[in-house]
Amino acid sequence: MGLSSYISLKDVVFSRSGRRIFDGVSMEIPRGKITAIMGPSGTGKTTLLRLIGGQLQPDAGDITVDGHSVPALRRKALYALRTKMGMLFQSGALFTDLSVFENVAFPMRVHTKLPEDMIHDIVLMKLEAVGLRGARQLMPSELSGGMTRRVALARSIALDPELILYDEPFTGQDPIAMGVLVKLIRDLNSSMGLTSVLVSHDVKESLSICHYACIIADGKVIGAGTPAELQNHPSEQVQQFLQGHPDGPVPFHYPSSAAAEDFGLAGDVL
Amino acid sequence: MIDQIASLGRSSIELVISFGRAGRFLAGVLSGVPRPATGFPLLLKQLYSVGVLSLAIVVVSGLFIGMVLGLQGYTILSDFGSESAIGQMIALTLVRELGPVVTALLFAGRAGSALTAEIGLMKATEQLSSMEMMGVDPLRRVIAPRLWASFLAMPMLAIIFSVVGIWGGMLVGVEWLGVFEGSYWGNMQASVDFWDDVVNGVIKSVVFGFVCAWIAVYQGYDCVPTSAGISSATTKTVVYSSLAVLGLDFVLTAVMFGNF
Repeated sequence: MGLSSYISLKDVVFSRSGRRIFDGVSMEIPRGKITAIMGPSGTGKTTLLRLIGGQLQPDAGDITVDGHSVPALRRKALYALRTKMGMLFQSGALFTDLSVFENVAFPMRVHTKLPEDMIHDIVLMKLEAVGLRGARQLMPSELSGGMTRRVALARSIALDPELILYDEPFTGQDPIAMGVLVKLIRDLNSSMGLTSVLVSHDVKESLSICHYACIIADGKVIGAGTPAELQNHPSEQVQQFLQGHPDGPVPFHYPSSAAAEDFGLAGDVL
Repeated sequence: MIDQIASLGRSSIELVISFGRAGRFLAGVLSGVPRPATGFPLLLKQLYSVGVLSLAIVVVSGLFIGMVLGLQGYTILSDFGSESAIGQMIALTLVRELGPVVTALLFAGRAGSALTAEIGLMKATEQLSSMEMMGVDPLRRVIAPRLWASFLAMPMLAIIFSVVGIWGGMLVGVEWLGVFEGSYWGNMQASVDFWDDVVNGVIKSVVFGFVCAWIAVYQGYDCVPTSAGISSATTKTVVYSSLAVLGLDFVLTAVMFGNF
C-alpha cells in the first residue's frame, strides 16, 4: 500500500490526562478508497481523526498526510493542508447563526475570491448532491439530525477536498437517514475520487461501504484488511467486536474488587 | 498540615498555569493582522451585539444612578447650604468613578456573560473545531472581533452612562428640587477638568473594557465543553471581571488621583 497511501501513521503514541490512548499505532490509508476505522467506544477513534487533522500532537511517532508530516507542520502550512481536507463532525458542527446556504458558502467565502453568483451556483450544486437544495434558506435549528449531517457533508465538500474524514456519521440516525448517508458517502467517494476515512462503531454499515477496515482496541490496531478478510480474522477480540458478543476478551464487567467485599459479606459463606 | 501546604502549592501552580494560558491565548488573538475586507464586517456585527444591545441597560442604569446622586447630593449638601455644588459633585462622581466602574460591571454581567456562553457553546458543539478543520483560525475569526468590539464599546458606553447620569441628576436637582440651573452647569464646567477627570475616566474604562473582554472570551474558549462547564465559565466571567474591575479601579485611582 506504500506508494498509494494518502495517510500514513507510524508508531503513534498519544496520551491524555495520564491515560495512554495509542501505544504505537501504525496504519496506511490508501488514496482514493474508503477506509473504516472501527473499535469499541472510548478507544480513541475520534482522537485519531484529530491527530490526522493536526488538532492534536502525538507524543511520539509520525503522521503523514499527502506526504506532509502533520506534527512537524507550522501553523500556516497546517492550515493550508487543511483546505485539502473536509471533516464531517458527529454533531454536524454547523454554524448556528448562519443559514444552510451560508454554512455551505462559508469555506468558499473565506478561502476563495469567487464572485457571488458563482458561489451561489456552487452552493446549490453541493446542496443538490446531498438532496437539500430546497432547504437552503433554513436555519440549523430547523433541521433534523440527518439533514444536519447532510448539510455538514455539503459544507465539507465545498472546496472539493482530496480527503474527507467522517466522525461517527451514522450515530443516532434512523434507518432512512442512515441509508441516505451510506449512499452519499459511497457516491461522493466514487464521483469525486476522494480518500475517505470513516470512524464508526456501526459494523454493518461501515463494512458495507469501505474498501479497507481497521479495528482499534486497547491503544493498538488489533485487526486490519478488507471487510472479507476481517470477517475471517482469527483474533477473538476482532470477532467479539464484529459479532457484538457481550462478553469475551473485552469483559462484560468493569474491573472491580471482589463482589463479596463490596456487599460487606467478606468472610461469610455464600 | 503538610497536606494543606501541598494543596496551597498546587493551587498556586494551577493559578500561574492559568495566567500563562490566558497570556498565550491573548498573544494568539492579537498576533494576527485582520484583513479589513473580512475583519471590518465581523467587528461591526460584534459592536452591535456587545455595544448597541448593551445600551438599554447602560442608559437606564445611568439615569437612575444620576437621579439617586441628585437626591443624596442635595440632602447632604443642603445641610451645609451648598446645594448649588450638586452639579460638580454628580459630574465628578460619575466621570471619575461610577461611569467607568458601574458600566464595566454592567458590561460584564450583560455582554461578558453572553460572550462566554456563546463561545463556550460554539466549543461544545464543535463549531470552533470545524472552523479549524476548514483552515480558519477561530482565534482570529471568532475571538478577535469580539475582543476588539468589547474594547471599543466599553469607553463609549461609559461616556454615555456618565452623560445620562448627569442629565438624570439635573432632572432631580434642578427640575424637581429647584437648584438654580445656572449654578448646576456652571459649577460643573468650572470644576471638571477635561484631562484630569474626563480623560482619566475614559482611560479607566478602556482598561476595564480590555480586562472584561479578555476574561469573557478566555473563559468561553477555555471552558469544559459541557453544560456544567459553560455554566461555570459564565459565572467565573462575571465574578472575575467584577473583582478585577474593582481591584484595578483602586490601583488606577491611586495612580491618577493619589497625588503622591
